[in-house]
Amino acid sequence: MEFPVFAPSSVCFSSGKGGVGKTSISINTALALVDRGFRVLLVDGDLGLANVDVMLGLSVQTTMRDIIANDEDPRTVLVYPEPNLAVLPASSGVPDMVNLGPEDQAVIGQILQVLSADFDLVFVDVAAGIGPSVLWFNTVVHHNVVVITPDPTSITDAYALIKVLMRDHNRRRFYLVANMVRNEKEGIQVCQGLIKVVKKFLNVEPEYLGFVPRDNLMARAVRDQVPAVRSAETGKADEAIRKLAARMARGL
Amino acid sequence: MKEKKAKKDFCPHGFPDCPILGEIRDLRDACARLSHQVETDGLTGLYNYRHFLKALETEMERSRRLGLPTSLIMIDIDHFKAVNDTYGHEAGNRVLQHVGSIWRTHTRKIDIACRYGGEEFVIILPTTRLYRAVNTAQRLRKTLEEKELPLADGTSISITASFGVDACDPKENCTEEEFVDRVDRFLMQAKSEGRNRVCHRGSHGKTLTTELSREEREALFASKPGD
Ligand SMILES: Nc1ncnc2c1ncn2[C@@H]1O[C@H](COP(=O)(O)OP(=O)(O)OP(=O)(O)O)[C@@H](O)[C@H]1O
Ligand SMILES: [Mg+2]
Repeated sequence: MEFPVFAPSSVCFSSGKGGVGKTSISINTALALVDRGFRVLLVDGDLGLANVDVMLGLSVQTTMRDIIANDEDPRTVLVYPEPNLAVLPASSGVPDMVNLGPEDQAVIGQILQVLSADFDLVFVDVAAGIGPSVLWFNTVVHHNVVVITPDPTSITDAYALIKVLMRDHNRRRFYLVANMVRNEKEGIQVCQGLIKVVKKFLNVEPEYLGFVPRDNLMARAVRDQVPAVRSAETGKADEAIRKLAARMARGL
Repeated sequence: MKEKKAKKDFCPHGFPDCPILGEIRDLRDACARLSHQVETDGLTGLYNYRHFLKALETEMERSRRLGLPTSLIMIDIDHFKAVNDTYGHEAGNRVLQHVGSIWRTHTRKIDIACRYGGEEFVIILPTTRLYRAVNTAQRLRKTLEEKELPLADGTSISITASFGVDACDPKENCTEEEFVDRVDRFLMQAKSEGRNRVCHRGSHGKTLTTELSREEREALFASKPGD
């Protein structure tokens, strides 16, 4: 099957295991890249339990679903929390959206292609698990970022995700971000552990992209609906995220 | 409808107790009984496989005309053989009746619950989207799990089943066989993921994690930080 590949650099954030921080990290990294002069489109690819809009405190009227169902103009559905950050919201609690059929995929692919023309970077925050929509989003982007935590189930699920993407979808370049670690040392250690196993069994070598320490600022950000890098406070987490963004800005 | 019936029951000679009329009535009843027998499963009272095939064809045609999807739930009772072996065939039959009555009472009037064969069942949900069908399957799974079946000896057993669900959009142009095949694969998935669950297109199964070899697992756990 032929998939569209978006013109600007596109990145998918996935994890296998849920709740490891995909949404927090994609939002904050997107904002940090906006600060570096990028125009970023953030796509809520969690089609069943969308929450990018909630985390950013946006009020959303129309979503990706309206584009598909009612032929709504994709551009009118975008929400701009900041001039250089656009969010393409998804709808929550609509299980039929999770089960992307081939036609829906084709439509979403076209939507993303049309929208991405106005941006330098497209981020897709996907759902947990390895359902069809997760795999599909992972195969239409340029780069696959996999978020992990020191939790063994997160590492096993990330490995399973990489295995499927590699074996069934021929993806070969993966970037790891370690979240909820104590410090950079632990971040590197957690990623290196997974890299070693992936290299041994799957014969591809994921790259360490960065870490985000466990930081109350991140948790509070969700409650206050203000992302950590936009919060008045500064802490370890937003410093690490800016470092991650700098890595991405230099090119993946 | 009513007029037609009155007409049929009217004896042209005006005999109040016309024997021919009585015979016609009997034949009509027998005919209805037989056609009911032809399409139902004697044990469970659900529709049988034969009727299922006919009904699926009709519903998918309706689907094409209305532009709405048809959903299908396929169900297999977990460890049915073990029930038979442990408690005997009589208990096995009771189990089939028990689940059959749950499928019937916990679905809508328009849904078509059938015994597919053996301990397999299939329910057609006409003009129903996938997520509603998944909800229905989840409800059936839960109801069955919670409703213990009392046995003759005073004990009771709890029965579970595995479910595969999918919807066929008329735009897909898929055949009945392809559709059944697809749903059957989700049922297989539910079985292989450990039974007593509902699998469908969106269910992110644990299949992949369980697909890891022992060597991979060991390597991953060895790589855990802190050692
Ligand atoms: N570095 C961190 N330190 C502390 N808390 C964090 C950190 N990263 C994320 N969290 C918290 O963990 C929770 C889950 O984060 P988030 O929603 O971003 O994860 P997710 O992977 O997108 O989840 P889902 O799989 O449900 O989409 C949130 O409450 C968030 O505030
Ligand atoms: Mg999320």
